[in-house]
Parts: sequence; C-alpha cells; structure tokens
Amino acid sequence: MTNQIHFIGNAHLDPIWLWRWQEGCGEVLQTFRAAIDRLKEFDDFVFTCSSAAYYDWVEQIDPELFSEIREYIKMGRWVPVGGWWVQPDCNMPAGESFARHALYSQLYYYKKFGRICKTGYNVDSFGHCGNLPQLLTLGGMRTYVMMRPGMHENPDIPDKLFWWDGVDGSRVLTYRISDSYAHSGTEDLDRTLDTLKEMLPEKQHDLMLFGGVGNHGGGPTRGDLGHLVRRAESEPETPLVFSSPDAFFDRICRGYLDVPAYKGDLQHHASGCYSATSLVKQLNRRAENRLACAELWDTVSAAVCGADASTEAIAEGWKDVCFNQFHDVLCGCSIMEAYEDVRAAIGHAVTIADRVENAAQLRIVSRIHTWLDGISDPVTLLRHHCRKEGFPRPVVVFNPHAFSVRCPVRTNHPSSAVTDAAGHAVTFQNVRSSRSNDSHLDTLFFADVPAMGYALYWLSWMEDSAVTPDCFRAVEKDYGTDVRAGQDYLENDVMRVEFDRASGTIRSLVRKADGYDYAAGNRLAVPTVIDDHETDTWAHNVFRFDKIKAEMQCESMELAEYGPARAVMRIKHRFGESHLTQDFILGSMQETLRVKCKAIWQEPFTMLKTAFPLTGTEEINTYEIPGAFIKRPANGEEEPALRWADLTLTCADGVRRGLALMTDSKYSYDCQGTTLRASLLRNVICADHYSSRPAADFNYTDEGLQRFEYGILLHAGEAETSDVVREAAVFNNRPNAVPAGYRKGTLPAQKSFLTVTEPNILVTAFKKCEDGSGDYVLRAYESAGRNTGRVGFVCDLADAGFWADFRAHEVKTFRINREGYVTETDFLEGIVE
Amino acid sequence: MHLPYKLTAQPARFCTQYEPHDPAVPEALYTVRCPAPDLSGFPLPLPSRKADYTCFARVGNVHWYGATTGLTRYEPDALRKDQIIQFFAAERDLQDNCVLALLPDETGLWVRTETGVTRIEMRPVGAEEKALMLLHESQRIVDRWGMYSQKHLSVPRDLDSKLPYGHSDNDGGFTSGFAMGELFHYAVCKREKGAEHPDTIEAKNAAVRACEASLLLMHIHGRGNGFVARTYMCAEEPMPEDGVYFRLQGDKAVCLDTPATRERGSFLKMYGTDIKEGANAGCDMRWAGMEIDACAPIPPRLMHLITDHGHEREGIFYKADTSSDEITHHFLMMLVAHETIGMDDPELDALLIDAAKATLGHIIDHGYELTDATGEATTWAKWSERYFVTELGYVDACLNAAEVLAYHKILMHISGERGKWQESYDYLISRGYADLATKHFDRMQQSSLAEGTHPFEDIMYGDHMLAVLSFWALCTLETDPVLLEKYKNGFRSWRTSLAREYDPGYDLPYAVATGDEIDMDRVAEWLYRMNVSRLAAGVSTMKRHDTPVHVLPGGEKEITWLLPNDERFISKYDRNPFTYKDVDSGGLVCVESCYIYTFAYWMGRYYGFFEE
Repeated sequence: MTNQIHFIGNAHLDPIWLWRWQEGCGEVLQTFRAAIDRLKEFDDFVFTCSSAAYYDWVEQIDPELFSEIREYIKMGRWVPVGGWWVQPDCNMPAGESFARHALYSQLYYYKKFGRICKTGYNVDSFGHCGNLPQLLTLGGMRTYVMMRPGMHENPDIPDKLFWWDGVDGSRVLTYRISDSYAHSGTEDLDRTLDTLKEMLPEKQHDLMLFGGVGNHGGGPTRGDLGHLVRRAESEPETPLVFSSPDAFFDRICRGYLDVPAYKGDLQHHASGCYSATSLVKQLNRRAENRLACAELWDTVSAAVCGADASTEAIAEGWKDVCFNQFHDVLCGCSIMEAYEDVRAAIGHAVTIADRVENAAQLRIVSRIHTWLDGISDPVTLLRHHCRKEGFPRPVVVFNPHAFSVRCPVRTNHPSSAVTDAAGHAVTFQNVRSSRSNDSHLDTLFFADVPAMGYALYWLSWMEDSAVTPDCFRAVEKDYGTDVRAGQDYLENDVMRVEFDRASGTIRSLVRKADGYDYAAGNRLAVPTVIDDHETDTWAHNVFRFDKIKAEMQCESMELAEYGPARAVMRIKHRFGESHLTQDFILGSMQETLRVKCKAIWQEPFTMLKTAFPLTGTEEINTYEIPGAFIKRPANGEEEPALRWADLTLTCADGVRRGLALMTDSKYSYDCQGTTLRASLLRNVICADHYSSRPAADFNYTDEGLQRFEYGILLHAGEAETSDVVREAAVFNNRPNAVPAGYRKGTLPAQKSFLTVTEPNILVTAFKKCEDGSGDYVLRAYESAGRNTGRVGFVCDLADAGFWADFRAHEVKTFRINREGYVTETDFLEGIVE
Repeated sequence: MHLPYKLTAQPARFCTQYEPHDPAVPEALYTVRCPAPDLSGFPLPLPSRKADYTCFARVGNVHWYGATTGLTRYEPDALRKDQIIQFFAAERDLQDNCVLALLPDETGLWVRTETGVTRIEMRPVGAEEKALMLLHESQRIVDRWGMYSQKHLSVPRDLDSKLPYGHSDNDGGFTSGFAMGELFHYAVCKREKGAEHPDTIEAKNAAVRACEASLLLMHIHGRGNGFVARTYMCAEEPMPEDGVYFRLQGDKAVCLDTPATRERGSFLKMYGTDIKEGANAGCDMRWAGMEIDACAPIPPRLMHLITDHGHEREGIFYKADTSSDEITHHFLMMLVAHETIGMDDPELDALLIDAAKATLGHIIDHGYELTDATGEATTWAKWSERYFVTELGYVDACLNAAEVLAYHKILMHISGERGKWQESYDYLISRGYADLATKHFDRMQQSSLAEGTHPFEDIMYGDHMLAVLSFWALCTLETDPVLLEKYKNGFRSWRTSLAREYDPGYDLPYAVATGDEIDMDRVAEWLYRMNVSRLAAGVSTMKRHDTPVHVLPGGEKEITWLLPNDERFISKYDRNPFTYKDVDSGGLVCVESCYIYTFAYWMGRYYGFFEE
C-alpha cells in the first residue's frame, strides 16, 4: 500500500478573536458559501470543518446554504469533524463542560446529518490536558488532530502520528500538525508538499497537509486547488489525494502501523492565557457551577413535584458556556470589546441557571413539612408577621454534592438562635452584612446536609434591640466552640494560623493533627508582583513567570470578626496604585482556610501571585485537570489547572505532607521547587499578539476591581489521598439556604436524593435524558486516581440502586430507565445508534 | 503492598436442594408467615427491584429478603464490603428465582421457591481448605486418565452421575494448568511440612500424574517429530465431531472422517494456507483416510496412564491441529515442574527436558510453526513472520512472539543448553520479536478503531492466560536488562485488559514478573468468593436491578462491575467475566476443573503472597 499525502481542505474560523462574534458569524457564512463553490468546481475536493455552533448559525440564518451542506455531507465530500460546539480551550473547561460539548454537538450532527464526528479536532487550541483522550472517546471520537504546542515548544511530543494515552488509560490516535493548519498559496503548498513527500519513507504511514486560508475563515482558494490538481496530474509519483481526517485515519488503521505512544498533557504553548482576563475565567467557572446545580435540582424537582424538566433551557445555557470556551475567548486573548459580549452571553446562561434552580428549589421547599401545630396556624393567618410574633422561620439548605456536607450558609437577617429539625442548637454567628441598612447583620450558621439533598433549619428572629455595638466588633472571648482568635492569629480544631503583622503574611501554619508547622520558618500567602512587560497576551515563548518585581506592602491588619462560628483576619496590601484586601476566614471545624480577596489593580504588565514557600524534599505537584488530576514537575513552569493545585513534599521529620490551594475562579499556578504559587491576576495589553506596541492608551486584561477567593488546605500524605477534591468542590459550589414558609408537606425535614458509597467518586451531572424519554442520566468520575470497585449508587427518586467499578480517573455515565434499570453509556446518553 | 497477606476462613455458600415435599423439609416452611420487607431508604443497591421483594427473615444481624427474582442476604456489619449484600439465584443456589417463604434455623435458612426447596448454610471455609475441597472434587469427577478439563453428568446436580468419557478441545492446556497448581501445592507442602508428610506425598502424586498426562500428549501420536496432540481418547469412546482425529493402528495412524476433516481443506484455503506442494497439493479432501507413520514409542513411564484403566495404545485416537494454547501451557508446566519437582524426580525432569527439546526443535525446524500431518502449519500454532503479516497474524503477532521467545528461555533454563536454542532466540530478537511483544495494546487499539468496536470487544479471552504465562516466564528468566524491560512493558500492555478482572491467576504472575503493585484485597475477595464446587450451575448476569449493562460499540454487552465469583458463571481462564448473559457454559450437568482456583491459590502461597 503506497503511503499517501492527504490534502485536508479546511478553513480555520475564530468566531471571536480580533473581532466580535457578529463578525465571526458573518465570516462563517462567507466561508461556508465559498467552500460549497469549491466543491462544485473541483469534483474530488473534500471540505473539512469543525464546530457545531457554526452549522447552527448557518442553519438559522441561511437554510438554503445549510441544505447544500447537508447534501455534500451525505456525499462524503463535506466532513464535519471535532464533535464539540467550538474548538475550546482544552485545559480550563471542567470535565462536565467537555461532556456538554460532545452531547449537544454530536446530537446536533446526528439529528441534522445522520452521523456524528469521528475525529476530534482542535488545531489551534493552546494546550491539551491529559484527560482529553478519555473526554474525546466518551464523546464518540477516538482519533484526534491538534497542533499546539509546536515542535519548538515541546519536542518530546511525537511529530505527526502517535498514540496519545490519557491519565485514565484511554487512548486516541493523534495527528500533530507540525507547522500550520492553513497552508495557502502555490509556494507555501509546494514547499509543504515537498517536505511531506520527503518525510513519507521515514514515517511509513500516510500524512496530512492542512490547507486553506484560516483564522478569519476563507478556506482553500480556487487557485490553491487548481494548483494542487495540476501538480498531482503532472507528478504521478506524488501521492496526493483530496481527503479528510476521517478518511486518513480509516486508511491508517487498515495497514501496518507502528507509531510511538505518549502519555499525559500536551503542553505548553500560551502559558499566559490561563491567568489573563480574569473576568472570563470567573464567568466560566460560575456558569459551569450554576448550570450543574440548577440542572440537578430541576431534575429532582421534576420527579418530586411532577413538573416538567427544563432540559431545553439548560441546554441553551450550556451552549452559551461552550461557545465562550472557545480558545481565544476563555484564554483571555480576544479584544476587550468581545468580553462585553461574553459577559452578556455567560450572564444569560447564569440567569437561566439561577431561574431554573430557584423555581426547582422553591417547588421542593413547598412540599417539605414545615408546619408547627399550635404555632403555624396563627402565623399563617398573619403570614408576614411571624417576626413580630417571635416565631422561628424555616430555612431549607440544599446540598448539591453527592456526599454529605457540613459548612456555613448565610441568610440576610440576624438570628437569636438556630436549631436543626430535631431541635438541636446549631452553631451560628451574626456577621456583618454587605448592606448598610437595618440591623447590618446576616446569620451565618453551620448546616449539616445529606448527600444531594436538603435539611430544614429553624432560625429565631433577633430583635433590633439585641443589636449592640459588640455585634460589629471582634470581641476576644471564649465562645464555647473550637474557634479562637487574637490580634495576630486564628485557630480552630484543625489548624492554627499566625500572621506576621509587618508583612501581612502567614508566619506559622500548624495542622493540629500532627502539630507540624507548614511555614517552617518561611512566610506564606505572600502577595507577589511579577514583572510581565516582555511578553504578549499569550506570553508566547515565555513559560515561567519568575521575575519578581516586588512583594506587596502590608498597610493594615485587623481581626475583623470573631465569634462561635468563625473568625476573620483582614489584611490590606498595596503596590503602587494597586490594592489588595484579603479576609482570612477560619470557620468552626473547617479544614479549609478561606481567603476572600478584593483587588483594585492598576499596574500594567504585571501579574499577581500568592506564594507559599514550604520546606522539604521530594516535592510533587498535583493539579486538577478536567475530570481528573495530573502530576507535573515542580520546575517553575506556569501550569494550567482547575479548582486546585497542590504541593506535597517530605518534611524534615520524614513525613509526607502537602498544602493545597483552591480557588473559585483561577486557572493558573506554578511551582518552583518547594514554592507553590497561585496566579491571581494578569494585567497585560488585550489581544496583544507579538505586537510592537505602538504608543497608545491600551486596554489591559485585568485592570480595575477584582473579587475572588482562594482557600488553603493542609494535609498529610499525598494530594490524592487528602480531602482536596471534595473541599474544592464545596469551595466552588456551596450549599445554599432557601427561606421557607409554614406548609403541611409530604417531604420530611431532611432528605437525600442520591448517595454514593465511595468518597472518591464524585457526581458531576444528574439530569433528564436529552431524548425526552424521561430517563435519568447520572455522570460521575473517580477523583483519587485509584481503581475503585463496587461503588454503590442509590437513587430512590429513580427507583434505582446499582454498583459500578471505576478505574482510576474514569468518568462514567449511567442512564436509568423508568423501572430503575441502568445502562452504562457515554456523553451521548445512548441516543446515537 | 504488604506481604504476606493474611487469609482467613470466610463464609462460603452451601446450598442443598430438596424436592418440595421431601421429608427433610420442615413443615413450618409451608406455614410460616413472612412479611414483605420495608426497604424504603435502604442504603445500598439491591439485586432485585424493591417492589419485587415479597418476604423477609432475620437471623441476628443478618437479613434475608426474598423476591420474585432471587434471594438477597444483607449483613450490615459484615467485615468485608463484598459480603454486605449477597445475591442467591437459580440455578446455582436456588431451583428457581421466585421465593415464596423463608424459614431460618440455628444453622441456616430454608427457602421455598415455586418449584423446590433449598437449604442455605454459610459455613466458614479457609482458602486452603477450599483448594483441597475443589481438588478432591476434580480428582473424583473430572479426572480423565490424568487429564483435567471438565466432565459431564448424566443427572443434573448429581456429582455421582459422571459420564465415563468426555474430552475438551484444550485438554492439554487445561491439564498443564492443573499440573502447575499441584506442583506449587507440592512445593508448599514440602517446604512447610517436609517431604515425607502425607499431605506432601498426596500433593506430589497429584502433580506427577498431571505432568505425566501432559507429557503423554507429546508422545501419544507416535509421530516422533516433536508434535503435540491436543488430547486423546480410548477406543471405546464415542468419536466427537469437533476436530481432526487420528486413530492409532499398529505403526500407523489414520485420519478419521469427521465434518471437521471434511471442512478442513476449505478452512485452510480461506486463510491462505492451502497446501501448495507435496502429495496432497491442492486437495481439499485430503485429510480423511490419510495414513501417517506412528511408530515412535511412548516412554514406559507414561504408559501407565493408559494401561492402569485397562486400555491399550492400539485404537486410541488423538486430536491433532494443535494450537499454541497447548504448547504455551505445556512449556510453563515444564518450567514449574523443573523448578518444583525436577530435583526430586530426575526421571520426570529428563522427560520434561526431552519433550521441550523435541517440541521447540520441531517449531524451529518448521519455520516457527507447528506442522501437522500434511506438513503444513496447524491452524493456530504459528509463530512465524510469514503468519504475522497476514490479517489474522497481525493481531496475533504480539502474543505469539512472546510465546515463542518464552519457549526458548524455558528450554534453555531447564536443560542448561544454549547452542542452537540461543542462536534461534537471538535470531528472533534480531527479527524484532521482543519489540513486537510490546505492541499488544497498540494493535488491539488499531484493530478496534478499524472495526469500530471497543478494544475489549476484540479480546480473545483465552489469550489472557497465554499472555500471562509467556510474559511471566520471560520476565523471570531474562537477564538482559534491555530485553527484560521490553518484556515487562509487554506484560503491562496486556495489563490494560487484565487488570479489571482482579483474577489472581493473572495478577500474581504479573506481580512476580514486573514487581508492580496489585490489589491484594481484591485477590482475597476472588478467593473468598469462589464456590466450594465447580458444578457449572449457571446464574444470570442479566436482569439484576443492581447491575448496569454496557452496550459496546460493536454490539457486545457487558456488566459494569465485577460480580463476585459465586454470583457469576463458572468458567476456566478463558472467558470475559463481565459478559452479560443468561446462560452458563456447562450448566447443571457439567463439573469444571478446579485449576482456576488451585493454580492461583498455590502459586500465591508458593511465592509468599499470602498465608493462612
């Protein structure tokens, strides 16, 4: 079998980048029309195009063009690839986002064209996380085309064809484009063709040549195609064929194949992209969290209350999120104006989620028995006067996690007492509210909520007369709980944190389980300003951000709150015209020290990191990646990660210990030796692409107000054996409190709708199947990196209880029918035949 | 991995079946009132739908829930996770799945179902005790002139009704597997109790008998050229129709006329190995009636296996067209036998070495193929490069390359010879066989991509043990660090599909060979949950409410968790334990060999993985 060169006619389309989406949409329409013209002009030509969102646009705006495309797809001359909504960033979206990319896109392709995409296709995305092989495979794609990082950025990744092994053992046959996805013009095409031709004997397999004007669309020109046809005719010895990635891989797999294997991440290309433009990162994380929660409560509500599930609305929200995960968008390197669109689009998704969740939770709440005989009757008559009557008000706390949670929740009124449904007193504290009105106080109490369920609490009103000046001061005394605080320390039963007043950093951080001080003579949580003026928005060719410009100066430190439920140390820092306020919050029995931050950032060409220099040897970095975690070398390179990053090392006493940083909206970390740092913001010029930066009043990616949180978790042993995954999950998705009325309901005061028997199996989706059958879909993943057998799932709601074995890092999707029988399926929910 | 792992006696199922009105059945079973259980809020998955549970009984902290679809045992305080919920079902445990009444007593539970009565007792059984129970059952029921595969019964469930005959296509391989278990058994007894201890002597006798039975297959055909028969039958046995047979007649052997021999020509032709040369060239019907020389003598030491039962060589018919399965098992048996019993029985050791040399000599001399009477390769015993470039051979190549390399290492180890064996080994290495042995996962993936199937759908589950044996030998015998690393990686490439079975028969050799960690808790669970009998009574893996089904892209169906041994079908090392199916391999009229358990258990003891 003679090896061939497959010419892949394509047009790389950035729907947003140096333009807004409206222009991108027009560019898609023009490119698709041009592609149809080329298909008519050249009988053998095949056009390849990814991204379901583009087809969706064309279908809505130009049905006639869409019909023509459909015909060419039937003929096999137009080949959709990359069964995702767009070509997203492949490091920052959550695992569940990738599931949604595949779900909505592949089902779209299946419905419109009768087929799904076989080949994953992210030729421009800047890096590819180590769990992508599994996420691709579960979306129906076992072959993959990528390009970045380039050979000059990471020569360890095999050139051209290789087996890519994911962290879970999944494998995709991958083609790495080593130069460009957009060859065009006779000289460029000839040069590339000659290079590939020379390469054929060495590679011993077919190769692909990607041609067509790209980025702002375009595709192969008439001149390009004519030139290739003429060259093929005049050089029979040049084995050039018009083809598609699908055809390429089909042919590859039917012959002798001996290519290398590569395991893990494919990194790095644009290391600055994971911290630039905090806005889009924060919106993305929030939308992912909100949609997942809304969907599960909507599913529960539909079953409990007989309501219709909001499947279509949720899908609409997810599509907005998926669209804005496009690599140039989520990576923060598009023009500033585009982010106004992003704010609106993801805001739309969040609004959908909030509305759906609110309706669902209120429906459930309305069925919970909150009636108090002898009390509720008169109150009900005086419905809005329960406060005046002095009766407790019911509040229902919802826990979206499939494990029970004890954590603080907050309501917008002060209370004199909080009890659970059984009448037991609950630890609470009236804390300063965000408003400057009436009592100025909110109730913060610790709720114990069963797995994916709710719990009812009773909050007794606090009279205005009880609000005294002490309510607003951190009075140092024994409150009868484990919380202790002073002017320079916070303490609970888990840890003791001491602050250095001069620098506003942590000087001692003791985990009480073994008395070890993680600071060990160092200062932790050091706000560090990095000089970032030599790079562009992507940080092309820069992989380490290690030029320290300054440490922010401490301006003040005060014990802002202290009570039975929590204590708060407020520390303010300054650098130039920029300010950072950090509230270090330690709650009763809480394992995570929360740090609530407000930054007002003005410094151009800077990056802000918080640094945690530890002491020890044999350091190992662990990072959360989509649907899994990965170990990376502690070499100082900037690393993309999701909700948490961890540094574990061997301490002087020989014991392995670690410190994990978790965030609610950040995606970038580094670790040089034994110093772990989270990148909190990056303020460089927007959409600055290898620019010479002519003088101008530039817009910057992170200038202005920033609000975010990070958390600090101490643990013994390795990261994967710690609570970091669950803590980070709760840190990002906290149980919420819903005020209730007095109702005679059928639901008990506390209920779990879904439980999982093993702590390392986390549920990421509980929804109704997209086919309208009424079946439930449940997705979960193994989070500790260990094979786990006999995992039990119990869901009375669906009359289902079943076992499953998970291999390390495995993502599983189950479909539960109306009789509670279960099928294991994939992201496509068993809809695609 | 902390070794040795401490095994303890664990409750095992003893289910006795009764006719509905057997006098032994207590009358109360027909009058007892069993309320339906309240299972709302039950914290764990249940094998039956909650609505299907109809009766309930409790003994201490053990709850029994009867359903129209089987019986569930719930012991919330069980020490092992796998023992908290257990499922009992027809035909293995019950006579049918519609449970009508439950009556506990001091030692067990009476269960009335629609068609019968069952008494269930959970008795603690040690892992070694179980090995001996299973061994004795196999010796009593399965043994066929020293060969161990399976035996059929004339009366369902009645172990006393075994048929006097019955063979398996892979008698040779299974017998060598059995032999390895007993060789390890012998070695452990000798080490722990001394050579003269009755247990040691008994184990030795069992091991020697099985070794001899395997060796006899290398001589029974009388060809004298290193060929190995699959199995053989005595003159009075009915002739099966599932293979190529030769009957011994004086110094000759005549190929019998069977459907298989009649089809043999077309089969060969289909795979491109039709005879091109020689007297039978181009002849599709050449097998039946073919007469070949069979004058090579059987070593006297082995003859007793035939004569002890009043048979003689004349008239015996043996099965040809032998596969690499048999050869691989035999070579590993030779290695284990040499290591464990060779010093104690030099005569047997010499027979092993001679047989190994004859067999490998044959393979080398025939271009790395096992040739049959026609001079052409058998269907499935080809380790040649010319086979590896065929469509079938491309997928087989990775395993077969490892196999033939293992034969060389074993022979050189047990014989102490190098010479032509080393030359041949070096030649194969120079031809890339060691590299090829690492490519299993690659080619499995490639094949499944080409076919649009899941990689697991392309697995021949019978290949798993062949890979384990081959890489186990290679990794333990190879001293060249570069080759050793390749062999370890080759083993790891198989681990991708082996690991999920948690089968100690695979995991223990893997750990010995690679030094990689294995899950000893799961190894223990596998041993603990093995039934105390190998009666192949079926249990369905379908219709369990607690067991999801996974439809793979090629259409195969699997369950998504590994059911414990006593809740899934009984098989040898040749089946996918995740198979979603309603029937069993042998059923109530079949008893399987014990070697799946005894091989794993005694190997574990031998290598110090566990103790009791």
